[in-house]
Amino acid sequence: MATQTERHSTLPQRVGQMNGAWRLFVIGALAVLGFGIYSFWQEATQGMVVTGMRDVGTMGGATWGLYITMVVYFIGVSFAGITVAALIRIFNLDHLKPIARTAELLTVVSLILGGLAIIVDLGNPMRGVVNLFKYARPQSPFFGTFSLVVAGYLFSSLVYLYLGGRRDAARLAKSPSRLQWFHRLWAAGYADTPEERDRHDRASFWLAIAIVPLLVVAHSTLGFVFGLQVGRPGWYGTLQAPAFVALAGVSGIGHILILAAIVRKVTATPHRIGEAIFAWLGKFLLGMLLVYLYFMVVELLTLVYATPETEKRLSDALLTGEFAWIYWGSVAALVISAVVLIWQAVVRRWSVTWLVAVGVLANLAAIGKRYLIVVPSQTHGTLLPYDTGSYSPSVVEFGVIAGLFALGALLIGLFFKAFPALPIEDESEEVIANA
Amino acid sequence: MKYGMVVDLDRCQGCRACMEACKVENNTAQGHFWMYVFRYEEGSFPETQINFLPRPCQHCDNAPCVKVCPVGARFSREDGVVLTDADRCIGCRYCELACPYGVNYFNWRKPEKGQYEIVDWSDPDLEPVTGGAIPPYRNPDLDGLHGEEQRRTGGGSQAKGVMEKCTFCVQRIEKGLQPACVTTCPTDALVFGDKTDASTPVGRYLAEKRTWRLLEEAGTEPSVFYVGSRPPTHRSKEIERPKASV
Amino acid sequence: MQEITRRTFVKGTAAVGGAAAAGKFLFASSPSLAQAEAAALASPIEDFIATTCWVGKQDCGMIARRIDGRVVMFEGNPTNPRNVGTLCPKGHAQIQALYDPNRVKWPLIRTNEKGVTGEWRRASWDEALDLVAASVKEVRDRDPKLVLWQKGRSKAKGFYDEAFVKAIGSSKLGHGAYCSDAGYRGVEYTIGTHAVLHPDFKYCNYMLSWGWNITNAGGNKFCWLTWPRHMVAARDRGMKIAHLDPRLRSAGPFADTWLPIRPGTDLAMALALCQQLIAQGYLDRPYLTTYTNSPYLVKPDGMFAKVTEGAGEEATEIPLVWDEATGRAMKFGEAESPALEGTFELDGEVVKPAFQLFMDHVADYTPEWAAGITGLTAAQIRTVAHDFGDNARIGATMIVDGVEVPYRPVGIMAYHMSQQELGFQTIRAMTIVPMLVGAVGAAGGQLSDFTWKIYKNYDKFEHLKVEDPPYDFMLNKSKFYPMNTGSPSVVAQVMMDPDRYEVEKLPEVAILHMVNPLNSFPSRKEFLESYGKFKHVAVISPWMSETADYFADVVLPAATIEKYEGPISATDAYVDAVTLRIPPMEPLFESRGEIDIYLDLCERIGVLYGEDGYLSNVNDQLKLTDTAFALDLEAMPEVRDIFDRWAHAQGIDEGVAFFEDPAKGVYVKGPVSPTKIYGYATDPPFGGAVHRLYGDSLLDAQRQMKEKGAEEIYWRDYTALPEWRSLTMDSSPSEYEFYLISYHQIEHKQSRTSFIPLLAELSPGSKLDMNPQSAARLGIADGDTVTVESHNAVTGETRSLVTRAALGEGIRPDTVAMPHHFGGWTHPQNKDQGASANKVMFLGEGYTTNTADQSFHVKVKVTKGGEL
Ligand SMILES: Nc1nc2c(c(=O)[nH]1)N[C@H]1C(S)=C(S)[C@@H](COP(=O)(O)OP(=O)(O)OC[C@H]3O[C@@H](n4cnc5c(=O)[nH]c(N)nc54)[C@H](O)[C@@H]3O)O[C@H]1N2
Ligand SMILES: Nc1nc2c(c(=O)[nH]1)N[C@H]1C(S)=C(S)[C@@H](COP(=O)(O)OP(=O)(O)OC[C@H]3O[C@@H](n4cnc5c(=O)[nH]c(N)nc54)[C@H](O)[C@@H]3O)O[C@H]1N2
Ligand code: SF4
Ligand code: SF4
Ligand code: SF4
Ligand code: SF4
Ligand code: SF4
Ligand SMILES: [Mo]
Repeated sequence: MATQTERHSTLPQRVGQMNGAWRLFVIGALAVLGFGIYSFWQEATQGMVVTGMRDVGTMGGATWGLYITMVVYFIGVSFAGITVAALIRIFNLDHLKPIARTAELLTVVSLILGGLAIIVDLGNPMRGVVNLFKYARPQSPFFGTFSLVVAGYLFSSLVYLYLGGRRDAARLAKSPSRLQWFHRLWAAGYADTPEERDRHDRASFWLAIAIVPLLVVAHSTLGFVFGLQVGRPGWYGTLQAPAFVALAGVSGIGHILILAAIVRKVTATPHRIGEAIFAWLGKFLLGMLLVYLYFMVVELLTLVYATPETEKRLSDALLTGEFAWIYWGSVAALVISAVVLIWQAVVRRWSVTWLVAVGVLANLAAIGKRYLIVVPSQTHGTLLPYDTGSYSPSVVEFGVIAGLFALGALLIGLFFKAFPALPIEDESEEVIANA
Repeated sequence: MKYGMVVDLDRCQGCRACMEACKVENNTAQGHFWMYVFRYEEGSFPETQINFLPRPCQHCDNAPCVKVCPVGARFSREDGVVLTDADRCIGCRYCELACPYGVNYFNWRKPEKGQYEIVDWSDPDLEPVTGGAIPPYRNPDLDGLHGEEQRRTGGGSQAKGVMEKCTFCVQRIEKGLQPACVTTCPTDALVFGDKTDASTPVGRYLAEKRTWRLLEEAGTEPSVFYVGSRPPTHRSKEIERPKASV
Repeated sequence: MQEITRRTFVKGTAAVGGAAAAGKFLFASSPSLAQAEAAALASPIEDFIATTCWVGKQDCGMIARRIDGRVVMFEGNPTNPRNVGTLCPKGHAQIQALYDPNRVKWPLIRTNEKGVTGEWRRASWDEALDLVAASVKEVRDRDPKLVLWQKGRSKAKGFYDEAFVKAIGSSKLGHGAYCSDAGYRGVEYTIGTHAVLHPDFKYCNYMLSWGWNITNAGGNKFCWLTWPRHMVAARDRGMKIAHLDPRLRSAGPFADTWLPIRPGTDLAMALALCQQLIAQGYLDRPYLTTYTNSPYLVKPDGMFAKVTEGAGEEATEIPLVWDEATGRAMKFGEAESPALEGTFELDGEVVKPAFQLFMDHVADYTPEWAAGITGLTAAQIRTVAHDFGDNARIGATMIVDGVEVPYRPVGIMAYHMSQQELGFQTIRAMTIVPMLVGAVGAAGGQLSDFTWKIYKNYDKFEHLKVEDPPYDFMLNKSKFYPMNTGSPSVVAQVMMDPDRYEVEKLPEVAILHMVNPLNSFPSRKEFLESYGKFKHVAVISPWMSETADYFADVVLPAATIEKYEGPISATDAYVDAVTLRIPPMEPLFESRGEIDIYLDLCERIGVLYGEDGYLSNVNDQLKLTDTAFALDLEAMPEVRDIFDRWAHAQGIDEGVAFFEDPAKGVYVKGPVSPTKIYGYATDPPFGGAVHRLYGDSLLDAQRQMKEKGAEEIYWRDYTALPEWRSLTMDSSPSEYEFYLISYHQIEHKQSRTSFIPLLAELSPGSKLDMNPQSAARLGIADGDTVTVESHNAVTGETRSLVTRAALGEGIRPDTVAMPHHFGGWTHPQNKDQGASANKVMFLGEGYTTNTADQSFHVKVKVTKGGEL
């Protein structure tokens, strides 16, 4: 008769096992999340005066700041996850299956964070949650179409994640553990019979197909949010949907790379998340990067030959003015990433460390670029003789955003403690079957 | 019937009385200027030009702010007035972003915090006279609902976290009064009325004088028409900015 | 049973919801929220009452809107000709002043030494008034003149303070020496009216806006908005404006031509214009020969040749002119064709018509000469002269409401710019410019006061008597300032060094009413020293003025707008009307209206009742004496009753109620007849005054001053004809490269509004306007803190202040300018507003006009940096 521990130890990928490092991670994450909540509390009680945002025009501020920047960023990230997952499914890229679930989870989490980032940006968050649906106006690009799309998008990704995991759930459900109830719940009577299995496969295949257009709509509208603003020099047309999608890809793949590396380590599965996978991701990222760099060159040209004067004021601020460090910083980060990737592709050696570094760089760049889309056209883009404005996020804003990141990390971490990050390998099948 | 305003720059003294009238009538928060009068300069000494330009909400017939509002809190009325429903606004500030004229002001603070706190209006010696009203001259017409649609659209400092802007003084026009800024203008540079009726002062201006509108190219179809001078350009340098921080 | 439709239901709930919300907001800080909500639910009572603006000097008519007796808004009174239902920003913002809990709430008595920020204890009105009365009484019994009553830029008719001054027999000081009295003296002397200059906007086609701060401040007599209203109307007719001002901001878009003249050089400009008008042949000879002293024959000693008629008491001197028809000297008025030009012989002496001397005098004042001084080009000056002369249509007449008058549609608007070192002579010369073309008193031409009532000074100035010392502390009739406005600055100087000015008796008690010398007058230093010397200072003010803070023994809290005041002229120069200030609510806190205060004070001093008492003086001032409405000299009246009697005396049957009625509020007497507006049309023409082109009494004064041993700096500007001389400030070392000038902003009124939050929001604080060229040279950027150091060219003293640079192309590169409204420290809102220009200005020799008026010019150097 095996003891508790023995029986638990049978769960794959350290699911359910909490060591010191793990506890430290949770405590740290919770602390940051706490600070985030405290920051938001201040905002909710005193009003948004505690943020760095102010009215555009006479007050010389930016009325959208770090929050919206992060909304755009998070949604971008979500894009990659689901794309990869969908690709794997549609084209049966079996060698990538080990990172499919990670990618799906990334989508779900970043969508949640994106949604929360919208809420914290509202002057009336509680009322917002209600009215956004109660009085939803699809004609309104951002909070209208967009919040609906995000909701639909989140739902379908959840379903997708759920279906994709059901088989493993069923397996785990058979082995007794503190988490058995959870696995049972997930499995929900699924016994993984052949016919069940291929009904499943078809379902999620079609879902994958369905998600793709949803994806395009979601990200295009996000592009339009800014693209359709007549009143804002620098927005009209500058941020066409494609460029937006490309950068979304870059940041998303970057994230998958980072997560893949982490999962690979903590679940001790280097044999499964092998160099092939990183190579594939690296190439995919490189592709996206090159596409985006092309758009940047186009953008740069329009900036340099910017007319009329109002646009000029803006481009000066970007290229040589107070935003130059962010602009050129991002450019540098992206170019370096590209160079590193090209080099690795040439030598055909894909180093995980380098790829993670690239992932981080690309994401910093992405955040920088999103910021430059949101802020400067407010502070430097007024068409009437208002004085040039300024905006810098306050501690509260940084706090809230840090909190969101912590929440994301926590969600992913917890999930992978409760459920295997990689699909369980087939040989283990027997083990359970015979038990 | 559609309301419109004419701003005669050949008469405007840049005195900013309209701004003050608006603030007292609508109790807007410190640093909020629903009416704002630009004072700006062009050229260099001695070929210098100084001009004034009052800027209320343009009450656009094709208002981007209305289009983008996710919850319909920002809406256009039959009579052309563009208003904000303080009970529905979720404070996303998208309208402010969409507006090319920079006329929107968000309640960053609690309303009572915005009322010129340097003076302690809650002074007990005032209480008997003011009933503790903040500001002491709080305009009661701003409470309650307005117009056919009976929505909370009147006046400023309605609530924390909602958007506000010039309302064409709904609470006044529904009483048959002229907007506060128009009434007070010392040189009658502001004219208000039905822009579709050639017999009104506004109509007559539109018929008889050459008028232009701000940022015509934006296609917003403003209901505010300017007479005289010319639109500011990127070379216009603003002078004598008020203290507009929050 | 009647069913509730959804609509009414919604309405109902809405109303409640609304009121509740309102309750929460309105009474956020109210202790009794419950009651408050109840109050909010009970629909409030709205009513209106007529009153007038408390801030500005023209008392625009206002309607106060009240909710349950609480004033929520002031709006213009449409029936008032001055503002016709409109208000300026100050008019609206004063509602915050009304409720300002930083007002002086109750009488205060000082508990610490003077000359530093005051510490106070709350006192009862009885105690405070007794204290003031006692000290006044004590001094008055010895010498009433040693009681000094001082008032600043007052409002309404000062009947109650005149009555006080007369009842006490005290000395009196006004604000004029800092306002425009040099201009008043110049115009009184030249054409006899008590005012400065404005054009007839009804018909004027070409106006010289001469230092008129068009879009910000008063111009002649008015506070602000009345003239701009007339101006835009005139521009609709096509009137053109040439604007002479170192700053363009004053005129904004309304300057058709901007002539950025160098500060203090307007006399040179005026003289050059005279030279050009003569050279270009723009002369109205009939006017000059008939209505001015141009034809008077002047003897070699510079005095008029006269014949004496009658003897002893009856004796009158009649000036002689040269009659070209008969070829001999004749009495002015009897000659057929008096000569303006030529040299003649009379009793063996060579005599010349005054006009000949004038021509000789200005001959060298050419545009080229003036260009070097004024910083304008000769061409510009010629053009102005040409446009002025050409537009004058010399010889034309027009019919106004059936009256035929000469038509000379050119005129000058000038007021405060008389406050420069040569102010008196400058305004004289400026008045002569329209005289040459016959525009004075003509349709469309040069006007001054609203009627042609000749002011008492006109005759007084015929002979300026310089007496022997000792002088009174205002130096009246002294060898220093024979023509004397009566200046607090002069008094300050005298108090610091009586011997130097040969003065024996100094004032001992001061009652300061609506005046704030320490902040508003140049210069703080002298006032700090001198006002400390008063034995007792009582200040009557709604706020703790800086002067009160440092020197008051007692502060008596005056009401702001919540009081009866008047009568207030409501004329807009073309329609005659009168109104009153009506309290829109009870005086707040323990404050009281001034009239109440004076009544009580006089009773305690013992000068209220009986003959020559305060009440009988009130009767005189309000012209109630010997009418059915005269006040009982033995009974303490109600203030409202005083105005009720006055109103009835005006033939207004409702009495004061008429003025409280929001539908009325203003008693409009109707249009002013052209026979009152146009000097040519009055009977006698120009009120009987002969316009003085040549001032022999000034020359006479100069002689007397020399005899009494006055130094040149005092007598040099007493000349028969306006004479240019280089300015004292220009002898400051060259590093003091800038002219510092000051101005009024539309958002503020003197020092009495800078603490009103709504106005402080529009115009937050002190600044130094500077041309970017000069700033760049000094490495100064917009908004930088800058140190302004001034230099006294006479004493060598330097003073400095720190403020912020405001760069703009609308100002001469050699000039810097500051608004004068800031520099206060007693109100929380005043913190960090920055300094007043008065901190670095100088009073006294070289910075005072020959009429004892203050100059607002000084040379300064500007350096980057400094502690605000
Ligand atoms: N808003 C407002 N209105 C006011 C007042 C106020 O405080 N605020 N005060 C009222 C009072 S008491 C008065 S006396 C009037 C004053 O009425 P104004 O005389 O019209 O007003 P100021 O601001 O004194 O105008 C001075 C102008 O003369 C210019 N100036 C300065 N020095 C010279 C010079 O040497 N030559 C020439 N040609 N121009 C010069 C200045 O640049 C400024 O534009 O305003 C009245 N109205
Ligand atoms: N540098 C510079 N200085 C200037 C000028 C300038 O252009 N440049 N302008 C000058 C001119 S034109 C003038 S007229 C003078 C004016 O100077 P002042 O006549 O001294 O005017 P204020 O500075 O407003 O001071 C008025 C005082 O009276 C008090 N007060 C206000 N309302 C009332 C009231 O209803 N009753 C009573 N009893 N007191 C009241 C206020 O608290 C304030 O302390 O300033 C002059 N000062
Ligand atoms: S009140 Fe009239 S004159 Fe003054 S700034 Fe406003 S529009 Fe111009
Ligand atoms: S001006 Fe701006 S706020 Fe006003 S209606 Fe037009 S777009 Fe909307
Ligand atoms: S801030 Fe309010 S009014 Fe403006 S768009 Fe958002 S919800 Fe609509
Ligand atoms: S119309 Fe009313 S709300 Fe709009 S600017 Fe004028 S006063 Fe303000
Ligand atoms: S112009 Fe003068 S008197 Fe008239 S409202 Fe303004 S401050 Fe008051
Ligand atoms: Mo004045």
